[in-house]
Amino acid sequence: MARFKISNAILGRPLMILALVTAGTAFAHHSVQAEFDVNKEITVTGTVAKLEWINPHSYITIERKDTSGKTERWAFEMAAPGVLRKAGLSREDRGGLKPGDTVTITGLAAKDGSTTGFLHEIKFPDGRVFKIGAAANGN
Amino acid sequence: MSNYPGRGTMLAATVAIGLLPAAAPAQEGQQRGGDALKQAKVMPTPMASDGHPDLSGIWNGGSQLANIGIEIGPDGARDTSSGTAIPVFPAAAGVGNDSDIERANALVRRMGSNKPLYMPEYWARVQNFDSNSNDDPAYHCMAAGVPRIGVPSQIVQTPKLLVLLYPGQGGLLATQTVFRTIPTDGRKHSDLDDLDPTWNGEGIGHWDGDTMVIDTIGFNSSSFLDQVGGYFHGENMHVVERLHRDGNKLTWQATVDDPDVLLKPWTTTKRVAILNPDPNALLPEPLPCSERDFDHVVTKEHH
Repeated sequence: MARFKISNAILGRPLMILALVTAGTAFAHHSVQAEFDVNKEITVTGTVAKLEWINPHSYITIERKDTSGKTERWAFEMAAPGVLRKAGLSREDRGGLKPGDTVTITGLAAKDGSTTGFLHEIKFPDGRVFKIGAAANGN
Repeated sequence: MSNYPGRGTMLAATVAIGLLPAAAPAQEGQQRGGDALKQAKVMPTPMASDGHPDLSGIWNGGSQLANIGIEIGPDGARDTSSGTAIPVFPAAAGVGNDSDIERANALVRRMGSNKPLYMPEYWARVQNFDSNSNDDPAYHCMAAGVPRIGVPSQIVQTPKLLVLLYPGQGGLLATQTVFRTIPTDGRKHSDLDDLDPTWNGEGIGHWDGDTMVIDTIGFNSSSFLDQVGGYFHGENMHVVERLHRDGNKLTWQATVDDPDVLLKPWTTTKRVAILNPDPNALLPEPLPCSERDFDHVVTKEHH
């Protein structure tokens, strides 16, 4: 469930609140906190290795060099493909991602310590930012 | 429901209801039932050449959660059997932390009052399935099974055969694409002993007046009856689905009889689908389903 920071003016209007709350809902097919730490945000910069447009969640895999120079692969769970399309991430020639792009991803860390995460935001080198599905604090 | 804080006490449940956010787990390609129903235009029911209603079309289904009678929409939650509004609390007001909000979402999804009634010896098993999402086949790209699969997304009706199409789901679910071919030529069921148990069974259709009745036997025991709740079934399950078209509305309802595990037959809450208004519309290609998460799941928390 996405949480939004909204102004006091809006807080005074209950019907508006309900509409806003439901607008950004992003559900994973599993419980988010069963897999990810909702209190531990991570940011990883790397190059896109692959994009997988699959159910139940699309995945983006990026590669970066760790401190010893070894290539490290990070797999981030994304929203369902339809959500990504609505966010403007479609074909490569329409502003979508493609392998080789350098991106910075912010999301939730996996509880099992693996190099996986739950994606909230992708920053492109040209400055574009896509916030997908949920707020940075988890649901 | 075993992972909720304060499980088993009415007091805790009451407090949790007060925290419920207005959840809207809309599935890709699905419309929220209430809004679509209000906007739907009135049209006559088209008839096939044999004089029966023509069910053909692309049907935009309602809530995925409705078999137990819970509808969650932009205005909050509602028990569709009784019509009772279920209070929800806007998460934006900042009550509770993220973990609480996710758990409250899980709770509201279980609040429909129309639930199958199991023999007491199976209550623990139902609860165990409900609290352990790792055992849910529809989280692992399996078929949803009948009746969990609900309203078909597309129906192609011919004089002696119905073709039902169900695209696989992502997001909240992880189900594979399913088709069913339902003969309506007057044939009888095979002997149950001659049928291999399958996810969708042997469905045979006939007209009861202007309602299509699909009678299905021959199931495996791998699917659940609804999205949440851990409602399992046995191989002797018998499902009767009723499909009724009224203009651009298609009403679906299923009755599940499983004397091995249920105390009495269970009839799902009615679900209404709306005809896609674009006569040239095609069903979008469903994405392949490939589950990657459960290797990294460290708790059994289920929503």
